[in-house]
Amino acid sequence: MQLKGINQERRMAEDQNILNNPDPNYWQSFEEFYKSPDFLKTHEDEFKEGVTENFDSSGMSSFSRRKFLALLGASAALAGTACSDYRDKGEIIPYNKMPEEITPGKANYYASTCTCCADACGLLIKTREGRPIKLDGNPDHPVTKGKICAQGHASIMNLYDPDRLKNPKKKNEGRFFEYNWKSANDEIIVDLMNIGDKEIAIVTHKIISPTTKKILDEFVSKYPTSKIYSYEVFDNSARNSAWKKCYPANEANGAGEFPAIKWNDAKIILSLDGDFLGESHNLVENARLFAEGRDVVNKKFNRLYVVEGNLTITGMNADYRMRLRSDLHLNFLLSLIDALNKKGANIPISSGGLTLEKFANENKLDKQELASLVSDLWRNRGKSIVYAGSHLPEDVHIAVNLLNHSLGNNILYNSDSVPVSMIPLSSTSDFEKLISSMNSGKVAVAIHINSNPVYHLSHDLGYSEALKKVKNVISLVELENETSELSNYVLPINNQLESWGDAKTRTGFYSLQQPVISPLYDSRQTENIFLTWISGNSASYSESSYHQYLMNNWEKNIYSSLNSRLEFKRFWYNSLHDGVVYSNDKISLPDSFNFESSDHIRPAPISKNFTLQIKESYALGDGRFANNGWLQELPHPVTKIVWDNCASISPTTANELGLKSNDLVEISNGKNSLKIPVFIQPGSSDNFITIESGYGRRNGVTVGTVIGFDATDLLKTSGGLSPWLYTDVQLKKVEGEYKLVTAQTVYAFNEGLTADLPNKRGIIREGTVEQYLKNPDFYRTDKKHEPESVNPDITYTGLKWGMSIDMNKCLGCSECVIACNVENNIPVVGKEQTDKGREMHWIRIDRYYSGTPEDPKVSNQVMVCQHCDHAPCENVCPVVATTHSSEGLNQMVYNRCVGTRYCSNNCPYKVRRFNYFNFRDHFKDSYQESPVFALLHNPEVTVRSRGVMEKCTFCIQRISEARSDATREKRDLKGSDVKTACQEACITNAIQFGDINNKDEEFYSYRNNELGYYVLEELNVRPNVTYIARLRNTSTEKA
Amino acid sequence: MKKSYLDYILRNRLPVTIFVAIAAFALTYFASSAERDGVGYTPDQPINYSHRLHAGDMKIDCQYCHIGVEKSHHAIVPAVSTCMNCHTVARKDRPEIIKLTEYYVENKPLQWKRIHKVPDFAYFNHSVHVNKGIDCVSCHGEIKQMEKVGQMQSFTMNSCLNCHRDAHNRLPYLEKVKDGPENCWACHR
Repeated sequence: MQLKGINQERRMAEDQNILNNPDPNYWQSFEEFYKSPDFLKTHEDEFKEGVTENFDSSGMSSFSRRKFLALLGASAALAGTACSDYRDKGEIIPYNKMPEEITPGKANYYASTCTCCADACGLLIKTREGRPIKLDGNPDHPVTKGKICAQGHASIMNLYDPDRLKNPKKKNEGRFFEYNWKSANDEIIVDLMNIGDKEIAIVTHKIISPTTKKILDEFVSKYPTSKIYSYEVFDNSARNSAWKKCYPANEANGAGEFPAIKWNDAKIILSLDGDFLGESHNLVENARLFAEGRDVVNKKFNRLYVVEGNLTITGMNADYRMRLRSDLHLNFLLSLIDALNKKGANIPISSGGLTLEKFANENKLDKQELASLVSDLWRNRGKSIVYAGSHLPEDVHIAVNLLNHSLGNNILYNSDSVPVSMIPLSSTSDFEKLISSMNSGKVAVAIHINSNPVYHLSHDLGYSEALKKVKNVISLVELENETSELSNYVLPINNQLESWGDAKTRTGFYSLQQPVISPLYDSRQTENIFLTWISGNSASYSESSYHQYLMNNWEKNIYSSLNSRLEFKRFWYNSLHDGVVYSNDKISLPDSFNFESSDHIRPAPISKNFTLQIKESYALGDGRFANNGWLQELPHPVTKIVWDNCASISPTTANELGLKSNDLVEISNGKNSLKIPVFIQPGSSDNFITIESGYGRRNGVTVGTVIGFDATDLLKTSGGLSPWLYTDVQLKKVEGEYKLVTAQTVYAFNEGLTADLPNKRGIIREGTVEQYLKNPDFYRTDKKHEPESVNPDITYTGLKWGMSIDMNKCLGCSECVIACNVENNIPVVGKEQTDKGREMHWIRIDRYYSGTPEDPKVSNQVMVCQHCDHAPCENVCPVVATTHSSEGLNQMVYNRCVGTRYCSNNCPYKVRRFNYFNFRDHFKDSYQESPVFALLHNPEVTVRSRGVMEKCTFCIQRISEARSDATREKRDLKGSDVKTACQEACITNAIQFGDINNKDEEFYSYRNNELGYYVLEELNVRPNVTYIARLRNTSTEKA
Repeated sequence: MKKSYLDYILRNRLPVTIFVAIAAFALTYFASSAERDGVGYTPDQPINYSHRLHAGDMKIDCQYCHIGVEKSHHAIVPAVSTCMNCHTVARKDRPEIIKLTEYYVENKPLQWKRIHKVPDFAYFNHSVHVNKGIDCVSCHGEIKQMEKVGQMQSFTMNSCLNCHRDAHNRLPYLEKVKDGPENCWACHR
């Protein structure tokens, strides 16, 4: 970054030029925007400088060339003398007793429930020969409808994580020793029995299972001094408590939580810092319903206004985006209400003298956009929704509820399926009480159920100190963590794919969880451990205890309430098969609003210093996925940073403070402080810092330890607007730099003739809904001269594969990237290798900014191999390792490839990936070569080794399987028989795949859409991937 | 004298030596090609199972044991439990069956020697071939007459392509058969 070195005047002139230039100038980073000479030099070439150098010999295999040759000679001599049976082909070892449901070579699918977070999405687990290899959504699940989030996809890696705890452990004189279950349970039971009047504290994440709740209740009645503390670091507490205050009548009948929203019915959506397309709460349903309202085929368009502090996934998809620091949202809302009241809305809240005009002036908001927002909200009463971020203070949520209620928007709350909770989450004051009783020695046993309060809770609380005063600390974990380190007993628990369970998150249905593999290690299921403790006898344990208990509970308590006509056993097996059980419990949403709830709301004082938001990490959640390499390496949807978190600040703020990206700063929140690198984030509001938490784990085992910076250091128990939002934060520059690695500017565009390529060459094509409705072909220009192709023209008459990507629906969420990683055995390469441009993802999402750095517009583009008919890569391969199939696929054959990389050099889309190493061997001391890791691989896809090129195959293994099924059923293969992994994963169905030549298929309407275009069409390479141009639904006043 | 000896070596002995070397190599190369491709490989199996007896004389259908052949990539070597369907009663006193029962009772893995193998990077699919009507015999030979199974055909890429390119003549019993695919991803991926 060379901001300082550039003449200030020249830059201002350029900025002016950009503002005056109606053509949006697309850019991917500041280096590109300011045309930094270093940057341009670096990106003149296809491969980054040094990409073939700097092979650190210490990181490489200790097997030198000389040693190799010596051994080769020796082994040849040996082979010559020993003359072994060269025809020997090994053995085939069949099953001894054939499991009934398994046909070797064929996958089985099982329905289950994901318990990675409290959303409990439905799972469909693909297993091969008894081992799970891929997770997808259960299509029968009423909320998630066959989709899961990126973490859900990646969580299959957690099952085969070589770091998983394999045995119980006990601490003795400060060191852990391997222990056995029986003695551990015996000793723990003695402690529990002799608890006296001291407390047993159970610390857990949110409980979503009715049967788990029942077991905990039984535990409490057996050991009456037990107390349950459940927490989520990023919960909905502010939104829910506001909801209870606004609609108090309904606490009695159980609907104490903010309901789900019918986004698909909303014409106008105003999101106040609410990242509903990127935060974990109900993400899958939100994204699906939102995208239903952006349908170019049926010409249905909603309009999304986003007012936010920092750029989020939701902000990237906004039609209108305004920057506003998060602490000012209450004032904004009050001004907005004032403006609506002037239109006659009659919303009973005092604006405290704020007017929208004044507010817009003070905060440099676009008045035209605001005017259109006010009139849209007013005109679309009952068809619009206002939504506020969960980190905003309760008052904002009360005002939002009031606004929605007054405009009649409360009919968009989903009353058919209302969120329910098993055990209410504990508040900060609950934890304060727990810690003070720990400190006074009143707590004798603390049990952590797969939770990590030492890392998660604000250090102000002093949880880890207090834990030292507890006689017996027990951690039930899959992976060791900061809390298990401080425990006396560390007990390994089953992964979600090895567990039984049920879940109740909404009214109307239950989900069931079933194991698909026996426990890999000597671990036990949490509930089963509790059953042993409840029985008071360690010998009472059997592996099926909890399974039996679960069935009994269902038979007695749930089955009886369902009025099923089936007898229980059949009901149970049917339900396990479906994964979902429908029930007729109903909670009606209230319609009487408590208007007194908003009486106390006054405009918030404006702080002069920085405002800080701590946000949940998009990839790692609250840090529980830190040891998952796929998620660590997933480019952040907005910043594109991998393997790190950072403090995002706006370009203006950076200029004022003389900061550039990678500079270390010290952020102080009261007496808490953290040193962290800054990242200049276009679209962030001024004097605003955003940090994602979930990084900086002190004990995140092999992969996750000390990756990034621990934002928990900044959390305070009081004094914030909410636990995640603080005003009056100080930021000061300190010595040093820390390199953040982004996966974005690796392939960028050059100066001179090729500047502003994304727009000029039609990589990104966009328009407005209005333009489109007037003239569907608005963006098509006269066809330019097409270069002659050296390839012969081939007419494909039969099946021909193609893909379409609807950029109106693509949110940039990167689920497809993880799904592709899992399906296609993509290795994790690590931060340094990503920095060298050696990442291996077959699918990437290019994020382009346009406009000014302060207020950019964002365009996302999924980029995969385009399977060009006139593929430039094919002509240059000296060994014919990449060729074309009769079905239009661009084939890559690994066993022919000699690694010249000519194909990658000649690919205009930069989608080919070269194995510079055997990355499985190269990353973290061959972490991915552990025997257990091999179970993760998809057996239908080759595990590529060093020295070969690879790329997207359009999931050829799935095409082959569909073809063999079609052959078996004596029918022709159809395009709709095949779903690629990315298509299956895409929550919003932005990716479609099928037969280009079949006019009867749904895919045909996407392939031949009026808005369809090819990227770099002018090259005449004839891609088989169609992009559907994005339309921004801006209003007529400002076309 | 010295010169003519050199002359003799260059003119006669060298060409003869080279010719013999090349001829020997070429002869061995062609003569051993079948062997190198594994044709004729008939290893001893842990249990002396006879296909001639079971499939030939007793006419048990191939798919009674090789249940995957129509559904899956793999034809599937049957589980020990499949043998025991009959042999819990049939011929219990024979030494080979006693051996088999031992495997079954002790839950020991039965390690059959592998005879047919295509390389790792080729994804051969039995079900597609069988469902097109191709007879087992076309690749595996007259199994029904084999006391001990051996490899009858070569399983090189060349032999696959020979048939894919000329299916009609190679599989005369299939009237409507079309040539097989020749693109790389039909087998390699």
